[in-house]
This record gives sequence, structure tokens and C-alpha cells, in this order.
Amino acid sequence: MGARNFILIMSLLLGLYFIILMPFTVYMTSKPYVEKLGIIPRAEVLQVVSADQKQLVGASIITKVVMYFGGLLGTEQSKISLPPDYQAMSRTLHAAMRLDPYNMDGYYFAQSILVWDVRQFMIANNLLESGMKYRTWDWSLPYFAGFNYAFFLKDYANAAKYFKLAGDLSGNPLFVNLTGRYLHEAGQTEMAISYINTMKKSAKNPAIKKTYTIRLKALEAVRSIENARDAYRAAMAHLPASLDELVSSGYLKKLPADPYGGKFYLEPDGKVMTTSKFAFSK
Amino acid sequence: MNMIIGVTLKGIFRDRVFQGILTAAVLFLAIPSVSTLSMRQVTELSITLSLSLVSFIMLLLAVFLGGTSIWRDIERRYTFSVLSLPLTRSSYLFGRFAGIAIFLLLTAAVLAVATVAVVFVVSGNYPPERPVAWGAIAAAVGFDALKYIFLVAFAVLFSSVSTSFFLPIFGTITIFLVGGATQQVYDYVHSQAGQALAPLVRQIATALYYVLPNFSAFDLKVNAIYALKLNFQGLVLTAGYFSVYTAIVLFVSAAIFSRREMK
Repeated sequence: MGARNFILIMSLLLGLYFIILMPFTVYMTSKPYVEKLGIIPRAEVLQVVSADQKQLVGASIITKVVMYFGGLLGTEQSKISLPPDYQAMSRTLHAAMRLDPYNMDGYYFAQSILVWDVRQFMIANNLLESGMKYRTWDWSLPYFAGFNYAFFLKDYANAAKYFKLAGDLSGNPLFVNLTGRYLHEAGQTEMAISYINTMKKSAKNPAIKKTYTIRLKALEAVRSIENARDAYRAAMAHLPASLDELVSSGYLKKLPADPYGGKFYLEPDGKVMTTSKFAFSK
Repeated sequence: MNMIIGVTLKGIFRDRVFQGILTAAVLFLAIPSVSTLSMRQVTELSITLSLSLVSFIMLLLAVFLGGTSIWRDIERRYTFSVLSLPLTRSSYLFGRFAGIAIFLLLTAAVLAVATVAVVFVVSGNYPPERPVAWGAIAAAVGFDALKYIFLVAFAVLFSSVSTSFFLPIFGTITIFLVGGATQQVYDYVHSQAGQALAPLVRQIATALYYVLPNFSAFDLKVNAIYALKLNFQGLVLTAGYFSVYTAIVLFVSAAIFSRREMK
């Protein structure tokens, strides 16, 4: 082939390549990107086929779950556009933890999302307890477990046990204080706010940080209502009939908005609740 | 035999295998940014990715160098000229094996330096909860190299019986997968869940466990990634297991190769 022919054919091919490249790029960018959580093989099968790359496969499965969750959070508004398949997320995470039981991302994500939204506290705590057998140096696993016991399960004996373990491992007296200060009904909101603040500070993933910011806003709204309710009760010696009464009597400047889109109300026993149940409607 | 080792190494470098490795090693540059995908363990993820890449490169080398080098000699009828030299067939075989083994060790050393560089950069930007265990990382790469040298011995064994490269290549890959699973199968069979299996199946699985190679012992990735303490005695045992088993495989290959008819 002569040099002239080569240049001719090559420039023709390059020209064709550029002609195809434009629509191809447009097609690829417009292709809806939704990370799907399909059915993954059983953990035993995964363990065998991933050969000596178990940690890599584990980490990539966890990343897949995080991407899936991040993709569901709309960018322009902090609303979840599609109901996430929490059961599939939980299943996938459990499989990943079988491959690499040391992977902190898995425990962290399970605690960040699955506990609050799926409310499978015992499954979460079983996962954390098995993680403690591996990550023997890590204070955050017993801290998570202690929080779940105290806040969700109201099992204060177990909560105290895990907070103490977290304190022993970290050498941080905060956890010992946690045990004493918050383990009664009245301090629940306060405990949750301090827990979420800790979690939010160390959150790097934008999707997770966003969910914490929203939850924190909701809990702070609850705390402001609770403070007003307590002030009302101290002065009047009885509970207000409704939240409107708190506003009209001047104890609450105005009813705070629920970032989840619900409406706050007062239960007969004085507990502050919201119609959204602290979750985006599906 | 030293001559064959030299020829093997020269051949590998002449085939630009080392340049190929350096091309694959460009992926190391991407590891620091990929690691930031992790929410809580960036440095740990960088170690995972680096060690996985090292493992993968060495697997390809072991399978392709081990599976093709002897087959190529026979195919090009080089063996006739080589074997007319005052040299036994076994020393030819051992020389080929040793040449590839030395090349794998060399590659492991280069890739270990790349791993240390990547992890050093990442751990400087994202300090891990626990200090990086450099010794464990070195041990992980070193034992990975031993594992793939072990695998090369199997490639040589398959080459000694085969006339094409299919058996050496696919046989070696199969041994790699089987060797990685033996410990899990053994653990499963002897666990509570495994009691439901038929006794005969359990006995066969146990017998196979003692016969087939066990590569899990060479996998120190978890120790390197999460800075877990290494079991020194266990490492010595693993090295002993490697030496004895590799020697057995090589001697069997030599015996087969010496009796083989070359046409």
C-alpha cells in the first residue's frame, strides 16, 4: 500500500469515526443511568468464584449499593424519586459482608440507611455483632449497636453494655457519659441529635450526608416542639391539647416544617410525632 | 541449567512482557482517585485495589508464561536443538520453571514498590484509623508471588504432557480456581451445615482437600488491608508447604517429560 493510499483510507476512517462519535456520545449520555440491584449469587458461590479477589468483589458490591442509593436521590431536590428496594440493598450488603467481614463501608452504610429506613434493628445489630468479632479494635461498631438498642429497641441494659465497650475501645469518656445521660425516655431526641451529628461530621458520601442533614433538621424541629411542650406543661400543669395551642399561647413561635413533607402533631401522651413518620412518602 | 534460566529470562524480556506489565501498571495511577469512593476506609480500599491489581497481573503472567513457554519450544522444534546439548530433559524443564519463577519474583518486587508508592500517597491524604502495616503488605505481595510460582509448576506439569497450549492454559486456570476454593469447601463440609451431606461426599471432599493445592494460605490480603497481625509460624509452615508441594509437582513433570517421545 502506498503512502498516499494509506493517508487517504486513514483520513476516511477517521472522518467516519468522528461522524459516528457525536451521535454515539449523545446516545450514551441520554441513556438512563440507573444502577440496578439485580439478583446476586449466593454468598457461598461468590466466595468460590471471586478466588483471591474477595476483598475487591466485596468492596465493589458495596459501592454498587451506595451508587444505587445515590442514584435514587434526586439532585435538584432532596426527595427520593423512586422507592428504594431496601430489601435488595440489605440482602446485597449481607452478601458483601460474607466476602469481606472487615469492610467498614458495609457496616457504616447498613447503619446509615437500613436501620432508619428499613427498621430491621435486630438484623442490623446481628450484622454489627458479627462485625465486632473481626474489627476488634473498632469502637464505632459497638457505638452503632448501643445506639440501636437505646434509641430504637429501648433495651437500655444492652445499650449500656455496648456504649461501655465503645468507651473502652476508644478511650473516650464521651461514651460513658452517653450511657448515663441519655438512657431515659426524656433524653431520646437529644441522644439522636448528638448521634446524627457525629455521623454527619464523618460522612464523606454526599448522598449519605444529605440524608443525615434532613434527619437532623427533622429531629431539631422535634426538639424545639418538645422544649415548648415542656415549658407549657411546667406552667400549666397539663399537656397542651394540640400543637396549635402551643403556638397560640406563645410557647412556640411557629410550627416548624417537617423536612419529610409531613405535619407534626401531638399524641395523647405528649409525644411529638409527624404524619410523614420521618420518611419520604413512597 | 543456568543457561536455560538465562535463555528463558532473555526470551521473556525480548517478548516485551515487561513493557506489557508496565502498561498494566499504569492502572496504579487511577487507584488514589478510585479509592475515594469508599466512605470510611479510603486507605484500606487503595490497598485492596493495589493488591488485587498485583495479583491479577501475576495470575496472567503465571498462566501465559507458564502455559506457553515449553509448548512454544516444542511447536517451533527448538527442543530438538536444545535437547541435543549436553543437558538432561529434567534440567531443561527445571531451567524453564526457574526462569519464569525469577521473572515473577522480579515483577512482584517492582509491583510492590508501586503498591507502596500508591498507599503512601493515599494514606498521607486520608490517614487510616490504624497505621498502615507495611510489613504485612510486603508479605502479602511476597506470598502472592509464591502462590503464582506454585501455579507455574502446575503449568509446567500440564505442558509436559500436552501437545497444544490448551491444556496448560485451561488446566492452570482450573487449578487456580480449585486451589482457591479447597479451604472453603473443607470448612463448609466440616461446618454444621455440611453435616447434612452424605458421609461419602464428606469423605471424598476431605480426601481431595489433602491432595489438591491450597492457595488460601498464601492470601494475606486481609492482614495487609486491615493491618491484622501476621502469624509468623503459619507463614513458615506455608513456605514449607510451598517448597515441598512445588518440588513434588516438578519431579512428576520431569519424570513424564523425560519419557515423552519427541517427534
